Amino acid sequence: MASQTATTDKVNWSGGTMPFKARYGKLMMWYFLLSDAFTFTTFLVTYGLLRFSTDYWPDPNDVFSSAPFGIHNAPLAFVSFMTFMLILSSVFVVLAVIEGHRLNRKGVMLWMGLGIIGGIIFLGSQAWEWTHLKHEGLWFDQNTSMIDADTGDTYFEHTLHEMEESGETLPENLVPAPKLFTSLFFFITGFHGLHVFSGIILNIIAWINTAKGVYDRKKDYEMIEKMGLYWHFVDLVWVFVFLCFYLL
Amino acid sequence: MAHDLTDEQYKSQKRAVWMATLWLTIITIFEVGVSLLWLQFEFMPRFMLNLLMILASILKAFYIVAEFMHLKYEKRALTLSILVPLVLFIWGIIAFLIEGESIRSLREIFS
Repeated sequence: MASQTATTDKVNWSGGTMPFKARYGKLMMWYFLLSDAFTFTTFLVTYGLLRFSTDYWPDPNDVFSSAPFGIHNAPLAFVSFMTFMLILSSVFVVLAVIEGHRLNRKGVMLWMGLGIIGGIIFLGSQAWEWTHLKHEGLWFDQNTSMIDADTGDTYFEHTLHEMEESGETLPENLVPAPKLFTSLFFFITGFHGLHVFSGIILNIIAWINTAKGVYDRKKDYEMIEKMGLYWHFVDLVWVFVFLCFYLL
Repeated sequence: MAHDLTDEQYKSQKRAVWMATLWLTIITIFEVGVSLLWLQFEFMPRFMLNLLMILASILKAFYIVAEFMHLKYEKRALTLSILVPLVLFIWGIIAFLIEGESIRSLREIFS
């Protein structure tokens, strides 16, 4: 057994101490997140490969330009709101973790509660966006929008109908937008949404346990810290989903 | 493990979190603002805009991992054991994007 006063690394790693100064649960949460990062990266790299192998790709500024309450032609507006909601929710959960270190039950409940609400707002926004795109004819393995081969502008089916009826001249070289785009979009944002969903459920369970005083009795709020790690990871993944689908 | 936070640490940690929040907000507004301005004026080539967006996202990732996930303050060995495997991403991204480009040129040749 290595003594506690040992200073060299060799002694630190020979057993009896915690070389990483982190307990099992937190450490394993970190390595789970590392593996999950690889899962998401393979999805996003697949997206990159398929996009690079396709001649025409929809313009995100045309596809994602609507928001609730009849807002149209506002590229990035709604998704910026969603992104900000998720970041804010992450901030709330970080504050819950800090309060947890102080064994402040009320503080944890307040900030964790706000974090959960932020997550629900994000998920609700995503549900709205999915519904909107489905109405426009974009769904898994289905894409009715068209791309102007010259300018890269993307048109929904109903927009083209409206243009036709009002006598506007349609772009000359219209090509069908790839189904790959919609399949990848719904699959990857769906997989991320599933993470958000399970994160909300786990956070609610942690919140109930906090309210019941489970962590107070243990004098240990590490569970809040572990849930926090997962929740920030979900936020982290969204940064790159946002980059790949909406910005590039 | 827990309840080991002095008043001073508590205050400085909270300040660090709010600073990180401020930066994340500024970077997000910057990303969206530059994208929208680019749509209007196209003041630089597309690939430069993309590069800018990628760098901004990596900066955001840094703030989330370092401050929110507290990795900056963990033991160095733990930090390295998380970050070093990510080096594989560099290979993955380069290799598969080149592969995608190759698939497209092959399709052009054979169709």
